[in-house]
Amino acid sequence: MHIPAVDSTALGLTLRLAGLTTLCLLLLATPLAAWLAVPDAARGLRWLRRAVQAAVALPLVLPPTVLGFYLLLGMGPLTALGRWLIARLGHSLAFTFWGLLVGSMIYSLPFAVQPLVVAFAGVDRGLVETARVLGATPLGAFRRVVLPLMRGSFVTAAVLTFAHTVGEFGVVLMVGGDIPGVTRTLSIAIFDQVQEMDYAAANRTALWLVGLSFVALLAVLGRARHER
Amino acid sequence: MSAVAAHHRLRVDGLQLGGLQLQAALEFRAPWTVVFGPSGSGKSSLLRAMCGLLAGAQVEFARQPQGRWQRLDALAPERRGLAYAPQGALLFPHLTVWENVAFAARCRGLGRRQVAESVTEALALLGLEAMAERRPAGLSGGERQRVALARALAVPSPSLLLLDEPFTGLDRELRETLLERMRVAMVQRGVPVISVTHDVEEALRLQAEVVRLAEGRVLAQGTATEVLASERAAMLRVLG
Repeated sequence: MHIPAVDSTALGLTLRLAGLTTLCLLLLATPLAAWLAVPDAARGLRWLRRAVQAAVALPLVLPPTVLGFYLLLGMGPLTALGRWLIARLGHSLAFTFWGLLVGSMIYSLPFAVQPLVVAFAGVDRGLVETARVLGATPLGAFRRVVLPLMRGSFVTAAVLTFAHTVGEFGVVLMVGGDIPGVTRTLSIAIFDQVQEMDYAAANRTALWLVGLSFVALLAVLGRARHER
Repeated sequence: MSAVAAHHRLRVDGLQLGGLQLQAALEFRAPWTVVFGPSGSGKSSLLRAMCGLLAGAQVEFARQPQGRWQRLDALAPERRGLAYAPQGALLFPHLTVWENVAFAARCRGLGRRQVAESVTEALALLGLEAMAERRPAGLSGGERQRVALARALAVPSPSLLLLDEPFTGLDRELRETLLERMRVAMVQRGVPVISVTHDVEEALRLQAEVVRLAEGRVLAQGTATEVLASERAAMLRVLG
């Protein structure tokens, strides 16, 4: 089988960004999804949950350029947060790999959180209560009962987050620009190749993205079939 | 019966559960107490109150291990020293029968040999040795119920065993056998039992102390023959 040649630096950067985004998001999304999934009778908390849920889902409906624009502002010297970051790091997060990571995490947040919220809500509370009475601490019940029952949803969340990060363009361009080896991902490389009228190279890069996305979807569908 | 010291006591003050207001002040003295009542009378809620599973409830629950009352209601469920078989079995679907029964012992960090001993004993008592490696999805309703009982019996050194409709789905012969085995085992271990049922025969067969519950209120507490006198008479009439 012939594997088309591709900008290996851009490929490596894309995979590193997608891998780190997935890892960081799963760590962040797990407690957030657990909190969002717990039913609560208190009216005030219910509204807070809805507000957080809407904020988490916002990247699904916002144009990536809007998100990228505000991230760029937020990381720059025009905001208190940006000034604080610059003072701590010695430079702005914008146009760096770490800035790109922050942008990717926000952009892919709903893809990590939503499958986990559904999974948490689907775990029978009776099982957790029984585990507690039988001697499990809250953390023990989470580790021994909730997490194993959600294993498939973690795979789904990870694959969706990874694939979505691999394919992102607008946020990357706004926050990271187009710096080879630092912020130029595969999707930016395609844009550059088309601008340079090098359609053969663009085709090769695009085929890699098609392949990565296809494998990711196969993984999710394979898991869904396995669970049935 | 009042000469015997109570081992546990429970007070629930006007807890609102949907359309039901639960009100109970009980002292448990017998080795086996049956909470008897129709569906929706609050039987399971009483057990859940003891387990600490009713959030925000006004519950006072205490035990008397050596002549001194010790409050349990402020403790988290896992620190109350209870063994529990909930209604509907609620087995952990990702674990085998063996792992389900070993759950409590493993949570308490017991050694591998101790865990194996307690699991083997519980499985043998419930006649489940042959299905140790099976998962709950492949079991019948009655088999799941037996695994839930075995899981409760394998809790290390509990101070009280709580059983919620423990023999649902079991045929009569098996139910009678298991009931007797469990009664003997619990007496030998010195662990009192509180079980919930709406089965008159089960309550009478156990010769247990009976708490009769209706619409969230305790109507009577006493021996099975006293509290279930009308049901017993009806059964005897049917039998001629």
